[in-house]
Amino acid sequence: MTTSTPSTVAVTTAQDPGAPSRRRPPGDPLAGRAPRVRRLPSPGRALLYLALSVGGFLMVAPFLWMVLTSFKTLNEVNTFSWLPQGVEWQNYVDALDAAPFLTYFRNSLIVVVGQTVPVLVIATAAGYALAQTPIRGRGTILNYFIMLLVVPFQVLIVPLFLVVRHVPLAGGNDVLGMGGTGWVNTWWALIIPFVSAPLHVFLARQFFVSLPSDLADAARMDGVSEIGIFTRIMAPLAAPAFVTIALFNVESAWNGFIWPLVVTSSQEIRPLQFGLAAFAQTDPVQWPFLMAMSAVATLPMILLFVLGQRYFIAGLANSGIKG
Amino acid sequence: MVIASEAPAPVPARAARRRRPSGVERARARAGWILLLPALVHSAIFIAIPALMVVWFSFTDARVFSGGEFIGFENFTELFGDRTFRGALVHTLLYTIAVVPVAMAIAVLVAVALNQQIRARGFFRTLFYIPVVTATVAVSAVWLWIYNPSAGLGNQVLSFFGLSRSGWLTDPDVALPALMVIGIWQSLGTKMILYLAALQGISPELVEAAKLDGASRWQVFWNVTWPGLAPAHFFVLVTSIASSFQVFDLVYVTTGGGPANATNVLAFDIFTNAFQRLQTGYASAETVVMLVIIAALIYLGRLTQRNQEV
Repeated sequence: MTTSTPSTVAVTTAQDPGAPSRRRPPGDPLAGRAPRVRRLPSPGRALLYLALSVGGFLMVAPFLWMVLTSFKTLNEVNTFSWLPQGVEWQNYVDALDAAPFLTYFRNSLIVVVGQTVPVLVIATAAGYALAQTPIRGRGTILNYFIMLLVVPFQVLIVPLFLVVRHVPLAGGNDVLGMGGTGWVNTWWALIIPFVSAPLHVFLARQFFVSLPSDLADAARMDGVSEIGIFTRIMAPLAAPAFVTIALFNVESAWNGFIWPLVVTSSQEIRPLQFGLAAFAQTDPVQWPFLMAMSAVATLPMILLFVLGQRYFIAGLANSGIKG
Repeated sequence: MVIASEAPAPVPARAARRRRPSGVERARARAGWILLLPALVHSAIFIAIPALMVVWFSFTDARVFSGGEFIGFENFTELFGDRTFRGALVHTLLYTIAVVPVAMAIAVLVAVALNQQIRARGFFRTLFYIPVVTATVAVSAVWLWIYNPSAGLGNQVLSFFGLSRSGWLTDPDVALPALMVIGIWQSLGTKMILYLAALQGISPELVEAAKLDGASRWQVFWNVTWPGLAPAHFFVLVTSIASSFQVFDLVYVTTGGGPANATNVLAFDIFTNAFQRLQTGYASAETVVMLVIIAALIYLGRLTQRNQEV
């Protein structure tokens, strides 16, 4: 360990014997570009690891404290402490009684599945059409989707509420969409506006564009129908795109809050995030219960991210810089 | 390639090929439309038309339960005399001005650090990205507990550094900055990933060449890495501004706009006007103002970007 620093310097400056040996110190932010040289942490590196560790700790500290708090008794949280006195698993059970969290859970699952399954069909089909079929004006249509991509959701909330409220022949509405409440406070309102999204169309299109058309041509020769070429040949090739889109959509469906808040009024269809927000506003707040349920609400997404990290990051980089 | 070498063949062959595939082409186009149509119709009904509707409503006195009449710019003139709205605008701007540059600066540092050949890179990257994938509502609940004045972690940290306790979200002077901290913490990860992607696009040869020319590491950073990040800066800036203008969940869960309206931001004010006071037209006018400001900031961002290139 003691000899690591000199040997590193010797290697990196070997071609340049006259240069001062500290020209490229080990803490160099660009050192990653240098050929891989096996070396032990030098002071600069150690500092880097320390900084990253402190930063990383700050990022997860709130979650650690959340989990620790979720194991405390209701009396324990009256004063500050890091560690719980014992592990109060019972909190996770009792919290379910304190508010209808099981119902909220079920509702979140319904919304996630109800949105994500159609997204995987509708948005990817559109992405494929824009990338691989000779429809007229597809450049314009692509630009249209890209424009919609930048419309902030907050802008849409008020008019979208009116659209949902005035769906014809639903919820007591007449043919013109008047007189009733439309889809307000129904599953339709939570699901239908999100069964496709410009972001997903765009992500799918980016992926399908990079696929060669040879396979499609071969399948066409074999008499596969045009729709069959998409469903049976191209879609399986685009599996990574499907995973990316599914992950993004599961995350946003699970985490969404403002729309359910606006469009639902009955406990029976409100999702988990709403339940958490309502529970956080009771007085006095039962912190261990709230933290237990927050843990249950966050851990699945953390797990999903850790498992599908590769896809998340590819999707983010794809929709971002290349767009 | 083979066809091109046979000189006389191309003309008839191309004509024949064009006639024959025309049926195929038409079938392909038809399939394309069938596949495209659901998404196209969906986006029109649930995004494009609502986006146009909001502009129309901003010129009416519509309420949720009644279609309104055209009243010109009345909503807008009323807005600028509305102290709550002006406060919301100022809070949103302050929030954006604090969160966006700070988070961007930290994100660049973290991205540069993580772009090196260090051990446990993926692990660190995960740590910084976790706040992004977790629900803002759940995260807000956790921070509400951290900022709890009597037993929260926040005051414990303050007393560790010998500072006096704070009322955090109950103190009108501290509440907004306290939310900014959460905003920075949660938005760091996305920016970091975008910067990492940009860093990976910088050619290693360029960096090597600069080093061989005797550039110091700072020179390499400022002359090679930094300019290489320019397109990422613009994209990150635009998306960050847009998302910080939309901050809602955080405010709703932690402060509800209080104390004394100190954290009433634009998105929250729109929500209040639209769904509590049921003033659709007025809330739409606010939304249009928000949209115009975001567009203007994006335009300014693009201008500065252009100046850098010159």
